[in-house]
Amino acid sequence: MPTEAFIYDALRSPRGRAAAPAALYEVKPIELLAQCLTAFQRRTGRDDLPTEIDDLIIGCNTPAGDQGYNIARAALLYAGWGQARGGLQINRFNTSGLEAINLAAARITAGYGETIVAGGIEVMSRVPTYLNGGPMMNDPATVINSHYIPQGVAADLVASTHGLAQAELDAYALRSHAKAVAAKEAGHFTRSLEPINDQNGLPILSEDVLPRPGLTAGDLATLPPRFAEMGLAGFDEMALHRFPLVDHVEHAHTQGNTSAAADGCALCLLGNRAAGERMGLKARARIRAVAMSAVDATLLTGGVNASDLVLKQAGLERGDVDLWEFNESFAAPSIRFQHRLKIDEERFNVLGGSIALGEPLGAVGGMMLCQVLDELERRDLTVGSLTIDAGAGLAVSTIIERL
Amino acid sequence: MIHYRKDTDKIATLILDMKGRSGNLLNHQIVAAFAPVIDHLKKEKAAGNLNGVIITSAKQDFLESGDLDYLYRLQDPAKAFEAAEQLKQFLRDLEVPGVPVAAAINGDALGTGFELTLACHYRVALADSQLRLGHPEVKIGLIPSGGAIIRLMWLLGIERAYPLLLEGRRYSPQEALKVGLIDELADSREEMLAKAKAWLLKHHDVARPWDDPEVTIPGGTAADPNLGHRIRLLTARLSAHTNDLYPAKRAIIDLLAEASKLDFATAYRLDSRYYARVATNPVTKNMISTFWFDKQAVRSGVGRPKGFGKFRARKVGIIGAGQMGSGIAFLCLRNGLQVVLKDVSQPIADRGKDYVGAKIDEYIERGTFQANEREKLLDRVTATNQPDLFKDCDIVVEAVFENKSVKTKVTREAEEHLDEYSVFATNTLSIPITELGKESSRPENYVGLHFFSPAEKTAVVEVVAGEATSEETVARAFDFAISIRKLPIVVKDSWGFFAARVLNTYILEGITMLNEGYAAALIENMGRQAGMKRGPLAMADDLGLKLVMRYEQQAAEHYGERYKQHPAVPALTLMRDQLERTGRSKRMGFYDYEPDGTARLWTGLTEHFPVTKDDYDRRRMRDRFLFAQVIEAGWCLQEDVIEYIEAANLASVYGWGFPGYTGGVMRYIYSYGQEAFVERCRELQERYGQRFTVPRYLRRLEMEALHP
Repeated sequence: MPTEAFIYDALRSPRGRAAAPAALYEVKPIELLAQCLTAFQRRTGRDDLPTEIDDLIIGCNTPAGDQGYNIARAALLYAGWGQARGGLQINRFNTSGLEAINLAAARITAGYGETIVAGGIEVMSRVPTYLNGGPMMNDPATVINSHYIPQGVAADLVASTHGLAQAELDAYALRSHAKAVAAKEAGHFTRSLEPINDQNGLPILSEDVLPRPGLTAGDLATLPPRFAEMGLAGFDEMALHRFPLVDHVEHAHTQGNTSAAADGCALCLLGNRAAGERMGLKARARIRAVAMSAVDATLLTGGVNASDLVLKQAGLERGDVDLWEFNESFAAPSIRFQHRLKIDEERFNVLGGSIALGEPLGAVGGMMLCQVLDELERRDLTVGSLTIDAGAGLAVSTIIERL
Repeated sequence: MIHYRKDTDKIATLILDMKGRSGNLLNHQIVAAFAPVIDHLKKEKAAGNLNGVIITSAKQDFLESGDLDYLYRLQDPAKAFEAAEQLKQFLRDLEVPGVPVAAAINGDALGTGFELTLACHYRVALADSQLRLGHPEVKIGLIPSGGAIIRLMWLLGIERAYPLLLEGRRYSPQEALKVGLIDELADSREEMLAKAKAWLLKHHDVARPWDDPEVTIPGGTAADPNLGHRIRLLTARLSAHTNDLYPAKRAIIDLLAEASKLDFATAYRLDSRYYARVATNPVTKNMISTFWFDKQAVRSGVGRPKGFGKFRARKVGIIGAGQMGSGIAFLCLRNGLQVVLKDVSQPIADRGKDYVGAKIDEYIERGTFQANEREKLLDRVTATNQPDLFKDCDIVVEAVFENKSVKTKVTREAEEHLDEYSVFATNTLSIPITELGKESSRPENYVGLHFFSPAEKTAVVEVVAGEATSEETVARAFDFAISIRKLPIVVKDSWGFFAARVLNTYILEGITMLNEGYAAALIENMGRQAGMKRGPLAMADDLGLKLVMRYEQQAAEHYGERYKQHPAVPALTLMRDQLERTGRSKRMGFYDYEPDGTARLWTGLTEHFPVTKDDYDRRRMRDRFLFAQVIEAGWCLQEDVIEYIEAANLASVYGWGFPGYTGGVMRYIYSYGQEAFVERCRELQERYGQRFTVPRYLRRLEMEALHP
């Protein structure tokens, strides 16, 4: 029997708006990460928690500027967690936070580390994605060889190939908002949520601000296409190079049916059985399986493959999953995912998703984990599935199981 | 070789004057001749005896481009790299030592010729709008070898340098000033030399921006997020427009982005590496073969009947003042000819003149003409409804409605006033010249001159000889085309002549695929991705389904019993007759055309042509599209519709948009490999029928005929 990776706790900051007025803009990314770290000490009642930590793995989509130079190691030192070992920053785009958790689970399972904090951070109001640079962005040979197109155009391509018009995408977005608004009002986010305060302890942000109560189809219908300009610049035609059965790319995605940029941090305290016993902590769930997949770089629909793969790893059927979490960067791939896996609406993104809540790229995986774990507990269910589609065809999936 | 003169202000003038040549060529000879001169200049400068150097030319050209004979045969990247490095070293020797050098550009400086001026610290050119400057290498599939990409990037920034290099336009001095290729213009040779001297006297300590550690590339580098983003957009546009088929264009954007992040010396060497790869690429060889050698061949008279003196048209009559007529009028004006532009009424003729004015304005905007030239140009065109004004025209071109009786009427009307020597040319695209010529009073002087639309932008015209057309008339029409800077393609009076006949096979192949159950979108995308300008169905709509069908009917008449119906015909008939979707002019064909200009594939297509193929073979679709055309061109050569391979290649790439990377419809066989081509035809024939039978002419063709 191999060692198992247990989730002892999971917490997150609120998702802040990245566009002005952005509440978390004034908070240094390292401070945001430090506040989340120290929250574990309070929640476990163990001031000596840092001495137990074998590594801190932080996923970040844009590990540059204020989020750069290995912010994981920096945050341990900044937060006074100098006794903790490690500090590792990783990047697999917006799956980074979930991938960090998966990596931690793999390490624990393999016996390389007993207790690891893993998750992600993204303060998009401060560190815009373009600071990443990189050949996919500015090296023409890579752009042409990979045919990696902006994800919004790729999402429009998905909408075009599946005949999804804006109205259907908007209807999906409305559901996401309605679910998030209801969950927020009912207090279903509170268990994981850690308010972010200033240096005096005065509150800066204590709840998710992006879900819009009372949003109507009419509000969304008039929004202009978000990615038409990029498409017409040439990326539409590049999409057709790879997918010549498509007549043209219909730019159906708007600001309203895509996720808004957001700020936030989410962390997960993972460990093996011995670590939990030593710390006197009760495991909330285990990581049942992890998987990663990639499809054509022009697409962003790797999620179906990743999800099938993770179920196979876990030895589960689709029907065994109680709650599904899928990251809603764009409505069309989300609709496609739900449709292809034949997931009932009652089990799918039950608290709303990134379209309503916002998407702090590197942090979103950890946030999804917080939400699905809390909800499994609240509903007394067992198996949760998390999947994130990323750019360049990547996707990551995780299955968690309550004990 | 190089004349050296020094004046009392200690300004040395170097005059390039290569012996035994009409122009100067930048080759190892001149590079060798420069070496001692540069040494001498350095010593003079050190001794305080030199304030600067002017380089100019004794020839009509400032400096010609490189040696394409050599380049075409160059296969070894190591040699190409070495050659580029040698040229680069020479240019560094000129620009580095601190002797200020001014280029006084008195004639054409293109390609390698322009490289020398970029290695000078200052460029002044004669404001003669006939001069041509810049880097057109990309037009023959090449990139500059002497570092022009790197120098232009440093002088202008990535975003201004890129379009110059990518489009490869040959700029007039006025345009060159506008886009930043040169620093100043001068009205006369004297003024040019004076300006160069004045600049040199003011600038003693010169360093190129890239040699100054304080200076950065204007507009930044690809590492800057904002510029990096815009480079990504430029790359997407390039990929969309070229389908990634043109290595030189890819190299330009790639090198600009990459070189911007490196120091000059490294970027300069990297440029040679890219050059070596591009110069030895088979696509480049195809393009040099066609866009250089074939073009030279036609310009020097390939296809022109021999033994007739050169025809110099001075005054040109044009009948029909629509888009085509006014386009031809503009071409004539641009090349110094007088024009009589006639239409049925004075107001319509005047409107045609207004079109010409609008075109001139467009070129003033670009910098080709100066604003003060507008009236002078327009003065040379007379708009009228009176045919008697044609009386002293050397040639009259009619571009009226495609209708035999209308054409006959305007021909007779004009001929009443023409002398027996003048040429009458008809711009028909589908009515046989022989038939039209019968209505002419002088059928031997009656010739087809088929301009492609838009007339002012398409490089070729078809010169069509009817049965009665005299050889002398063909020669004159040829000379007239050359005089308005068109490449004349001499063809026989077959249906669709050459271009439309061959293009029709592409269209029919597309319609056949539709009938076979391929999705229309796939067909269109595959056509474009093969390198054709537009999908076959879009082209069918443009031409009109009636005309597509008429060409096929004419083919049937021509071959008689040997004709085997093209499998596209039933689908074409369905579209044309039952569904009455006849094409763009009716706003409905394979596409629906909205009033706002957008066109979308007709959604009803799937009802009549159900999509049954869910799989597709990209390579086979591409081969079908291109092979159909190559084979038809082969029939045309076999049947003497067109006589010369060079002309066939040029007509294909310029006339109907056969992909330029192939080098044209005949050169294609060379790059595909004759044996492989014949073998592939056999496969296609088995699968799709006799239209993929290889004509004897192509089977027996010597490969030597397909390259220079």
